[in-house]
Amino acid sequence: MTNRLEDVLENSGMAVDIVPVEGELNVGPQHPGSGHMRILVKLNGDIIEDVDLDVGYVHRAVEKLGENRNYMHLIPLVERPAILDSIHMNLGYVMAVEKIINVDVPERAQYLRSFAAEVNRIASHLYGLGILGIFLGHSTAFMWGFGDREVWVHILEMLTGARVTNSYIIPGGVRRDLTPAIIEETKKAITYMRKKLEDWKKIFLYNPTIRARLENVGVMTKEKAIEWGAVGPNLRASGVYYDVRKIEPYAAYPKLDFEIPVYKEGDGYARTMVRFEEVEQSLRMLEQIIKEIPEGNILSDRFFKQIPPTRLKKWWEGYRRIVLPGYYASFRPPKGEAVTRVEAARGELLYYLVSDGSAKPYRLRMVTPSYRLINVMRNLAKGSRFADLVSIYGSLDYFPPEADR
Amino acid sequence: MQRPIDNVLNLVKSKFNAQVKAESDARGQIEVDKKAIVEVAKLLKEQGFDHVKSVTGIDFPEQEKIQIVYHVSSYSNPELAKVILALKTYVTYKEPKMQSLYEVWESAWTGERETYEMLGVYFEGHPDMRRLFLPEDFEGVYPLRKSYKIKLEGLFVDKQA
Amino acid sequence: MDILGLLRFYILYPSFFVTVIFPGLVFTLLLLLVTIWFERKAAARVQMRIGPYYASKRLGGILQLVADAVKFVFSEIIIPNEVNPTLYALAPVLMVIASFLPIAVIPLSVIPPSGSVFSIYFKDFYDPDINAGVIAGLFVNYNLLLVLAIESVYPIFVVLLAWSTNNRFAVVGAVRETYLSVSYDVILLMSTLAMALEYHTLDIAKIVSYGIPGIVANPLAAFLFFVAMLMGSSRFPFDISEAETELVIGPYTEYSGFLFVLTMAGSYVGNFIYALVFADVFLWGWYPLSGFPGLVLTVLKAVIVLFFATFMRSVYARYRVDQALRGSWKYLLPLAFASLILGMVVGYVWIR
Repeated sequence: MTNRLEDVLENSGMAVDIVPVEGELNVGPQHPGSGHMRILVKLNGDIIEDVDLDVGYVHRAVEKLGENRNYMHLIPLVERPAILDSIHMNLGYVMAVEKIINVDVPERAQYLRSFAAEVNRIASHLYGLGILGIFLGHSTAFMWGFGDREVWVHILEMLTGARVTNSYIIPGGVRRDLTPAIIEETKKAITYMRKKLEDWKKIFLYNPTIRARLENVGVMTKEKAIEWGAVGPNLRASGVYYDVRKIEPYAAYPKLDFEIPVYKEGDGYARTMVRFEEVEQSLRMLEQIIKEIPEGNILSDRFFKQIPPTRLKKWWEGYRRIVLPGYYASFRPPKGEAVTRVEAARGELLYYLVSDGSAKPYRLRMVTPSYRLINVMRNLAKGSRFADLVSIYGSLDYFPPEADR
Repeated sequence: MQRPIDNVLNLVKSKFNAQVKAESDARGQIEVDKKAIVEVAKLLKEQGFDHVKSVTGIDFPEQEKIQIVYHVSSYSNPELAKVILALKTYVTYKEPKMQSLYEVWESAWTGERETYEMLGVYFEGHPDMRRLFLPEDFEGVYPLRKSYKIKLEGLFVDKQA
Repeated sequence: MDILGLLRFYILYPSFFVTVIFPGLVFTLLLLLVTIWFERKAAARVQMRIGPYYASKRLGGILQLVADAVKFVFSEIIIPNEVNPTLYALAPVLMVIASFLPIAVIPLSVIPPSGSVFSIYFKDFYDPDINAGVIAGLFVNYNLLLVLAIESVYPIFVVLLAWSTNNRFAVVGAVRETYLSVSYDVILLMSTLAMALEYHTLDIAKIVSYGIPGIVANPLAAFLFFVAMLMGSSRFPFDISEAETELVIGPYTEYSGFLFVLTMAGSYVGNFIYALVFADVFLWGWYPLSGFPGLVLTVLKAVIVLFFATFMRSVYARYRVDQALRGSWKYLLPLAFASLILGMVVGYVWIR
């Protein structure tokens, strides 16, 4: 089109010199739209020619520290990279430890794990939608995201005792039991969220400005998504039916009835829609869990027996809480290695744990969903407009601390 | 009925000099020499393993070598999606270099860069072999090698009374 | 005439009263605080928050804005190393002046021959077209054109300001502002031209006195003017040149302290001026009042328009610059032509 116009102009004796305007923009680390990283953007006019993600500003060296701490001390550490998604971070690690020490988890604890994970998923998605909103200048979505998230954070607080850094899941089970008060609160929260999602659709999803900013922006085809190794909602928005909860079910997911939303478009809007529908599915799952959760113990008998009877009487029978048995202080698992994966809110989270028989892991590899999005985001941003950088960033729900670990 | 993982492992074993082991229905490992790893990777990709989940380096100071582990799996094949294969190889301290698998699996991009900065293993053929997470002035040492000691504050249970 | 009468004469003299007191400098300064307060409060209401509150619980937190202003005025002004300090300090001042200047020529009310506090100035501000005096800083026959002409200088100073700060985000913001200003100015001018054709005059006072509000006579032009106003004063969804998450704060990135307040004030004042024109031309201005009550009525209408424009923040996200440009050239420009034709037809058939 432009070429033709130029030809016409030249033929009519009005040749126009189009001077390319090139330059680099240093977006971040002190920038409202960069997060904890530096994005080196090479611009040609409004088009991004190349992008270099300078990550690592919030690197916590989880893998190195993992080699220097006991297995139990690592539980609070591994959830720090993504505190808004800490249940999943925790769950994957504990599943790897359980695999090495070979312990079974009671049914009720499995349901509780799924319960906490789904509550956490809703909270995390709302956070992501809020960030996407403010990236596009929609401050209402930002405030709503964080406001509605509070409802779910409150439930997590009632269940686990902490708002975000829960450390709720321990090898062999979970720390606290579900009480009727929490069930009541969850039912209220589900009703509230269902109502609120309608409002969300009106002001955010069907907002013409949001649609204009997300549709056909950052399009990732199915082939590219597979090649770049995209994960989670971003992968599903590109038409790949892949969810660890279905592929390799863990916790109570084999028994729950839920669907995986998949979109073909692969653009930012599809990614946002997938997140929305996942929130709806999570609400469905929570209802099922509340209804179907079996009675029973919440810690494996192997560890439960080790709790002193006096403390058991006070804490378990009194408050429905587990006091950590002495075994946990510095247990030495047998030699071996384990690869576990869970579907965290942003996608597949992989733990690779190598034990050499000592009290500390020999190697802990933690591959978070955002870590795998670094490559995706870098590739997607190329060729898009500068203003789309933030909508790609936001729609991928990339979370720098989680990527840096 | 034969499990899909066995099919793949047997195929690899028949073609290459590799040690294979199926740990369960969903986990398996292949250990090959680093010279053959690109060929093995290509074979695995033909079989449907289309992405790398993680690239891990594990330091073994006594043997003066570093183990590189690629965890590969599949998105497009629902049967293989359940399987995670660990493709393992070793590089020595003397020659911490190996062929990059970027040309086979583009998703190895991040992991190889991280392994390079953390363990000093150079991946030949990687288009962007620079540091990823570490700051610019972090020179000469590789944090994930066992020789790199970090200062730890004692926890109260570890302290002598 | 005693000394008090003399004082009253000079204070109420429209050239002074309109530009300095109401709705001039003093009022605009207060309005700025109230507008930002309203913007924050209204957005808070939509967003499940309370908004500014603790600075003055009884007044709904409005003193928070005063506190903010005081803080801004006394905070350090940081001048970057590689800029020309004179230009750097002058640019925001010039920008505010350019955006504020049109207030001197907008007719805000009429002066009846007797009975009003302004009646003594009847002869000095006599408008032969409507056979009455006009309350305006300076009365000119072609005030509609003059207002828009002066206001359209404003983006040039934004570009100057961005250039003088020597910051890449500022330059990108200025480029966006340039693109936008070209497109919204066309729509703005065409929609007002439609009104001028419709009412057969370029005098705002005559348009108002005609007795038919512009929004009834030509709703299309009213809509276009409003959209162009949003674009021209970087309100949502056209907050494109400032785009916080993309360009930090666009052209104003390097500014701090009082100079930053000026840069921020520029767009609000510009919006207020446009709102005054909108109130006059489309919302019937001071009609049916006159004198001082008429002046208040006009300003009240303008303030409501201004508040409505700021409220857009809690509803919309921002468009991309190419989308805004495509929208304005591809859809709004044909509409502007349509409004022009509508104006001509209505002006021929209905308004004589």
